[in-house]
Parts: sequence; C-alpha cells; structure tokens
Amino acid sequence: MTASILTVDDSTSLRLAIRLALTGAGYDVTEAVDGVDGMTKANAGRYDMIVTDLNMPNMDGLTMIRELRKDARHAGTPIIFLTTESDADIKAQARAAGATGWLVKPFVPDQLIKIARKVLGK
Amino acid sequence: MTAWTDDGELEVLTFGLGGETFALEAVLVREILDLMPETQVPGADRLAASVINFRGRIIPLADLRIAFGMTPQEDTTDSRIVVIELMLDDEPVLIGLKTDRVNEVATLLRDAAEAPPAIGMRWPRDHIRCLVRQGGDLIVLPDLPALFTTLIARGGEPTIH
Amino acid sequence: MSATDPIAAFRIEGGELLDEVEQALLDMGHRLDDMDLVNAVFRGLHTLKGSGAMFGFDALAQFTHHCESAFDKVRKGVVPATSQLVAVILSAQDHMRALLDGRATGGEAAGDDILAALEAAIAEAAGAPPAAPAAKVAGQGWHVVFRLPADCMANGTNPLMLLDELRDLGPCRIVALTDRLPTLEELTPTHCHIGWDVTVETDEPASAVEDVFIFVMDDMELAITPLAVDAAEAPADPANTAPVAAPATAPAAPAAAAPPPPAPPAAAKAAEHVRVPAERLDELMDRVGELVIAQSRLSQIAHQDGGLALRSVSEEIERLAGELRDTMMVLRMMPVASLFGRFRRLVHDLARDTGKAIDLVTTGETTEVDKTVIERLFDPLVHIIRNSCDHGLEKAEDRVAAGKSATGTVHLSAHQAGGEVLITIRDDGRGIDRARVRAKAEANGLIQPDQLLADQELLQLIFAPGFSTAAQVTNLSGRGVGMDVVKRTIESLRGTIEVASIDGGGSTITLRIPLTLAIIDGLLVRVGSGDYVIPLSAVEECLELSGEEDLRSQGRSLITLRDRLVPFLRLRDVFATGTPADPHQKIVVVATGNDRVGLVVDQIIGNHQTVIKSMSPLHRHVGSFTGATILGDGSVALILDIAQLVALAQPREERLRAA
Repeated sequence: MTASILTVDDSTSLRLAIRLALTGAGYDVTEAVDGVDGMTKANAGRYDMIVTDLNMPNMDGLTMIRELRKDARHAGTPIIFLTTESDADIKAQARAAGATGWLVKPFVPDQLIKIARKVLGK
Repeated sequence: MTAWTDDGELEVLTFGLGGETFALEAVLVREILDLMPETQVPGADRLAASVINFRGRIIPLADLRIAFGMTPQEDTTDSRIVVIELMLDDEPVLIGLKTDRVNEVATLLRDAAEAPPAIGMRWPRDHIRCLVRQGGDLIVLPDLPALFTTLIARGGEPTIH
Repeated sequence: MSATDPIAAFRIEGGELLDEVEQALLDMGHRLDDMDLVNAVFRGLHTLKGSGAMFGFDALAQFTHHCESAFDKVRKGVVPATSQLVAVILSAQDHMRALLDGRATGGEAAGDDILAALEAAIAEAAGAPPAAPAAKVAGQGWHVVFRLPADCMANGTNPLMLLDELRDLGPCRIVALTDRLPTLEELTPTHCHIGWDVTVETDEPASAVEDVFIFVMDDMELAITPLAVDAAEAPADPANTAPVAAPATAPAAPAAAAPPPPAPPAAAKAAEHVRVPAERLDELMDRVGELVIAQSRLSQIAHQDGGLALRSVSEEIERLAGELRDTMMVLRMMPVASLFGRFRRLVHDLARDTGKAIDLVTTGETTEVDKTVIERLFDPLVHIIRNSCDHGLEKAEDRVAAGKSATGTVHLSAHQAGGEVLITIRDDGRGIDRARVRAKAEANGLIQPDQLLADQELLQLIFAPGFSTAAQVTNLSGRGVGMDVVKRTIESLRGTIEVASIDGGGSTITLRIPLTLAIIDGLLVRVGSGDYVIPLSAVEECLELSGEEDLRSQGRSLITLRDRLVPFLRLRDVFATGTPADPHQKIVVVATGNDRVGLVVDQIIGNHQTVIKSMSPLHRHVGSFTGATILGDGSVALILDIAQLVALAQPREERLRAA
C-alpha cells in the first residue's frame, strides 16, 4: 500500500519541490495551499503524514495543527512542520500545538525522504 | 547518452522557455526556487552571466535562452529558477537555470523521441540531444553537459576599454 | 570489468586493493590507534583473500589469510596495533604483489619468513599495554533504556517506528518495561505508558542512537550506555588496563546520553587530547562563518541606527567573533609532518623502480596548515615529486660524470611567511630543459614561434593543459594527473605555483597557499550597481579622485597620486558596467609585492569581514575574481583578484615608460 502524504504550503515552488522529492521516493502526494485548504483536505481524505509550512495566509500552520489535533480522527497522524534554522521558539510552540517533528529549511530532497521513512517506516 | 530506463522511459521535469517546452532529467533537479536577486559577474560568458546565493553557496544562474538564440524576456510571476547538479569533468557542479515557468514531472517515452533534424532547425544541433513528442507538444531535451562544458573551455577574460 | 578475462581484471583490482591497504598502513605509522585505518586494512585484506580464492590465486589467498587474521585481532581490540606489526604487513605487501603477478617470490620460504615475523609481531603486541581507547571507538553496541512522554502517540510519534529504527542499527533484544502502567480504571488507551529496554549490537556511535530519538529528545527519558567488550581476551596488565571492559551503568538524567568511558588515569598523555570527528570541526567552522556574517550585519545596523548602548555591545561582539574566528583557524591546523611522512615510502619506491639513488630530505615538518589544505595537497605533491624523481634526477653514473654526488636529493620544505604557507620541492637534478619546453609548446600551438617570453612565462608553460615534456608518459608520472591539474588544485586553494630552474643544477617548485582559507577582512566597494570586496591586506590607501585629476587622466593609464605616478584602472570600464560614474569617484590603491595599482570605484562602503566562498567551476576562469562572499543581507559580492588586476595594469605602464 502506497503511503499518502498531504503537503500544505502557500509557495507553489516549495510544494512542487516537496512533491518531486516524495513522489520520487514512491509516496502519493496531495497538495494544499494554506491552513484552511489543509484542514479541508485532511478531513476529506486519509493521510499517513502531513507536512506543513507555518507561515501561510488564511490559516497559519500552528493554528491548523492545533485544530487538527482537536479531532480524534487525526490522532496519531504524524505532522511535520517546516521551520527556518534557529527558531527555537517556534519549534517549541509547534510541538506544544501537537506537531510530531520538523524539517529545517532550506532542505535537500533526501532529508525530507529520510524523515518520511523515519516516521512512516519502510 | 540519455539515460532511458530499460523500458524506454525517462522521468523529466518539463519547463517553459521562450514559448517552447524543454525538459531535463528529474534526477538532476535539486530544488526549484522563486526568483531571487542576481549578481552580475563581469567578464563571464553571457550564458551564465550572473550568480545567486543558493543556500549559502554561490552558483551560476544560466539563461538557456542565450544558448538557443532566443530573445531575452522579462521575468513574470511564473518565472522560476531550477537548480540542477551536473557532473562536469568529474566534478559535481550546481547550476541555476532560469525558466519562464515550471510545468511538471513527466515521463517521456524513447519511442516518441527523434534526433534533431540536420537542417531547418532554429538552434545549434549540438546543443540538443533529441526532441520528444508528447501530448501534442514537441519537447526539447537539451544537452546540458555539452553546453556547459564548452562554456568552461571558453573561459573568460576581463576586458579593458 | 573484462568479460573475457576475469583473471586479468582481478589482477588489476587486486593491485588497487594492495595500494589502498598500503596507504592505510603507511598512515597508520603515524596513528596506530586509528580504528578507521585498521578497518580499512582489514577490509582490503579480507576482500583480497576472498576474491583471490575465487580466481584461483590460492597461494595469495592463503598468505593473505594470515595477515587478515592478524589484523582481525587488532580490529577486535584483542591486540593493539604496533609499528612492528605494521612494518611486517608492509613487507608482506611486496610478497603479495609478487603472488598476484605470478612472479617468482623466492619460494615458500620467503612467505614463511614473513609469516614467522608476523607471529612474532603479534606475540609482542599482545604483551604490550593496549593504547587508551579513542573516544569514538563504539565497541560492541549500546544499552538503550527509554520512556516516551505519555501524549507522544497522540502527536504522531510511533514507538514501533523508533524500535524499528533501532533494529536498523543492528540485532536487538527488546524488553518492554511495564512498571509504570497505571491501573485499568486510570488507563488512558491513547497514552504511552510503556518504556523499553533495548540492547542493540552495532558498530554505530552513540550519535546514531540519539538520531533515532531526535524528534522526542526534549521530553523523554533516555539512557544510552556502551555494552561491555568481552573482557576475557584483553591482555591482563593491571597497571595499564584500559577500561574497555568497564561500562558506565548509572542511568543518565532525562535526555542525557552517557558518553563512552573516559580515558584511564594511567594513560596521562591521552587525557590531554580530545579526538573530534573532522565533520564536527567543519560544522563549527561553518557556524563561526555565519556568525561573522551576522555580526557584521549587526555592526552595520548598530552604526546606522543604534544608540550608544547598542553600538558598544556590537563592538564587544565584534571583538569576540574575531577571537573565535582566530581560535577556529588554529583548531583546524595540522602540522605538515603527516603529509611529508607519506612521501618517504613514495621516494623509496621511486628510487627502487627507476634504479636511481634518491634521498628525501624534509624541513619544517612542524609548520601548520589548515586540515583541508593538507588533504588537497597530497596529490599535487605526489605528482611533483614523481616528476622530480622520474625526469629531473639523473642516474647515478650521469650524476658522477657531471661532478655531482651519486645520490640525488629531493628537498621538501614548508614554512610560514606573512599570511601564507610556502611549500617548496627542490631537486638537484638536471633542471628543466627550456629548449624542449619551448619546442613542445610551439608544437602544441600554445605559443608562436617568434614569441618573446619572460623566463617565468616559459617555465609556467609546463602547467598548460595537455602539455608534457616526457618523451613517453611513464607509468610512474602518468595517472591522468598532469601538471595542469596540479596548478588547478593549487589555484582552487587560492594559492600560486612558481617554478625556478638551473640548467644542470635542478628545479625548485614553490607553492604559496594563503593561511586563512575561509574568512578575510575586506573593503567593500561599489562599482556601478554591484558590490565588490577588496582584501584589506592588499589595500594601501583610499583617496578621493578629484574632478580635475579625473578629467586629466582620461585616456591615460597613469595617475598622479601625491606626487607619484601610479597605474590605475577604472573598474567601471574593466567590468563594463554601462552605468554613469558617480560624482566624487574614489580610488583605492592596492599592492602586491612591489607593484601597485589604483582602482577607481564609485563608492567605498566600508570594512567588512566576510566568509569566502569559492566560485563555481563555470566561473573559475573568469579573470579578476578569486571568490565571492555573501553579505549580511544575503546578496553576493565578488572578491577581487588583486594580483590579476595589478598585472593587468602593469604592461600598459611599461609600454608607456618605453615610449
């Protein structure tokens, strides 16, 4: 069974880069453009992992993570957030909101794939 | 030389440049960036006349339009920089390619590929590996290593007026 | 791989394996307890034995088997590596090569002699006290005890995945710890109440175990302790027993991993040093570099908008960053002795293979050079030394006939001068045949037949790509390496290479490498719309170019500055910026050696400490720039090649003087 990943980011190029990396490693990828779109899609489908940026219009990443975690449907779904280096404060907030792990921007495709494998198993 | 799989397929990233559709091997792509400030390098070949700051590394920004004799165009909101890593002279080299837009990751079929015609082509033949038909489009597969190896061989000299 | 003759293919492969093993052994001569080298030697011998047996090289396989077993003992820590052991295996190399090539080996007796010496070396090593274990020797695995925060699963952490990752490191024995399970009434099914006690057998270091828990590290309990090495095989020497067999069993505080046992008090020398993986130093260097950039941006802001308090703190940070940078530079320095040492065997073998008598003399081994420079210098130096031995030095009879001593000398020296390290390779051979260089250059179309060349220019031709004066590229000097690659490598270190030669007296090649690889103090200037950096060490003075002087010197290439005629370059023209000149042009007078040039720029922005980034290969040959740097705001500024610009300005001056 192919694992499916939801990527939430308002940057088209970043979404494309993530999609390239993950589909190349054999995952199914669905894209969402902001927190609202992310919530809609997460509730409409079944995802094995969610990767999200934090800085987005309409609903930012932190809020989306908190809202997702309120819903028992999404308990246990790994949520990885993208952060810029040395933002320890944001990391703590995101984890308090319920995120599982993080990836530091800018990143190489391999790092993202490594995290997906870590969180989803082989 | 093109790395078709045994099934005669090739995974590529297609992008738009000067009204044409080009493709390059997806495996070469390191990242796709939005446009960012460029710094001119005086004396460098026009093909790669500037550099950008890519994650702390200074990499050349190449405008393939120069290699294909296309007129330079204004940047648009769809313009992107595709960062690739090529092996040139046994050395891995990072290069940013400016594009008008990035399309998608697609699979090309070798059966649909043709060698560039001997005459009637707008572009220098040795800059192109082949042309591939797909979905009504004719996609150009440029020979990037050849393009950039000639650039290195040409070198650059400072000019004094 | 040759499909038609696998045996021939194996001969080549085997030869390469022996080369690698030999290199590792020679390196071990300086670092007996380097487990990476021991493993490399073992792996090479192991492969040689296995493949040898497969392709019918039974004698080789058998012989190699003994060497492999001996090294296995070192690898497992049963016996420490001693220089005697290394010497025996090195001598075994020649025997193994002979077996590989099917040459006469002096019969079984020769092989037996070596094996006897091997046994003696092992026996002696077993009696010797073992070296204090290097901090990074992982031993046989780790004992990991961990408990995750109760709500971790709700947040997407899957303990089963973590256990799987541990299993990826090696075979595991896993025991669930249920001592903290609440009663059924109090149990929250979505909480994680179970802890785990895992014993994993692996060679990976503790950091690999820590990586598994990277996302949960802050909130969990984690204790990592090394597993005991089998104490039975360690030599019993009570006075000096290294604590390889003593695990630290105290469970650590949450999220702390117990480090491998500290060096024993008996090994007093080892306690003064700490082994650090090279990558950690590189990371540290990168961080310091980024700190320098951020600090310069802070200075900028502080001076523009900041009040007194901010400026004063900013200056303090500037001072600290500078000291940190200087300390980092020193950390990465290593004496060239390790580099020079590797050449002894090389020269010894070259002498043997060419049938010449050659001595290698080294001076200045304690001179220190940045670690990466040492590694990058190895190949170029090998090539230069091979050239000297192969082509430069004459055979004994010829030398005596020429009134020289029968033994030729290659003198390798290193010393620091100014901000550079100078490495010279001098031989007292026949020197470079200038006529032949000239002829070859003309034949290759590098120069015109009547072209006048200064002596240094003629000699520098040997670095042109594709050039080789050897009548045939001999097996020793050829390797696809050519002098042009040597020059490129030195240039990529931002160094220069000079050649001097006396007919019949020998040649001297001098490499100049700047000491500070990564960070320089620069002067930031603007020309047109681009910013550029001038290395501060080259700057003599900055002056304003008065309007009248500017007009007067239009079309000329010399300018009068304080009653002196100085060649000058308008960088706007050199870079063809196409922008109009700013009013009040500035002129920065720079110098290299005795030559100076005034560079006319639009604006002098200020001092700037920056991290040097190398140019892409696509831009390496663009003149005028030696690298680039990233400014505080993320934009790129190119670093000017002062030597090139000075040289650019000179000929015009000479032409004018001659006129």
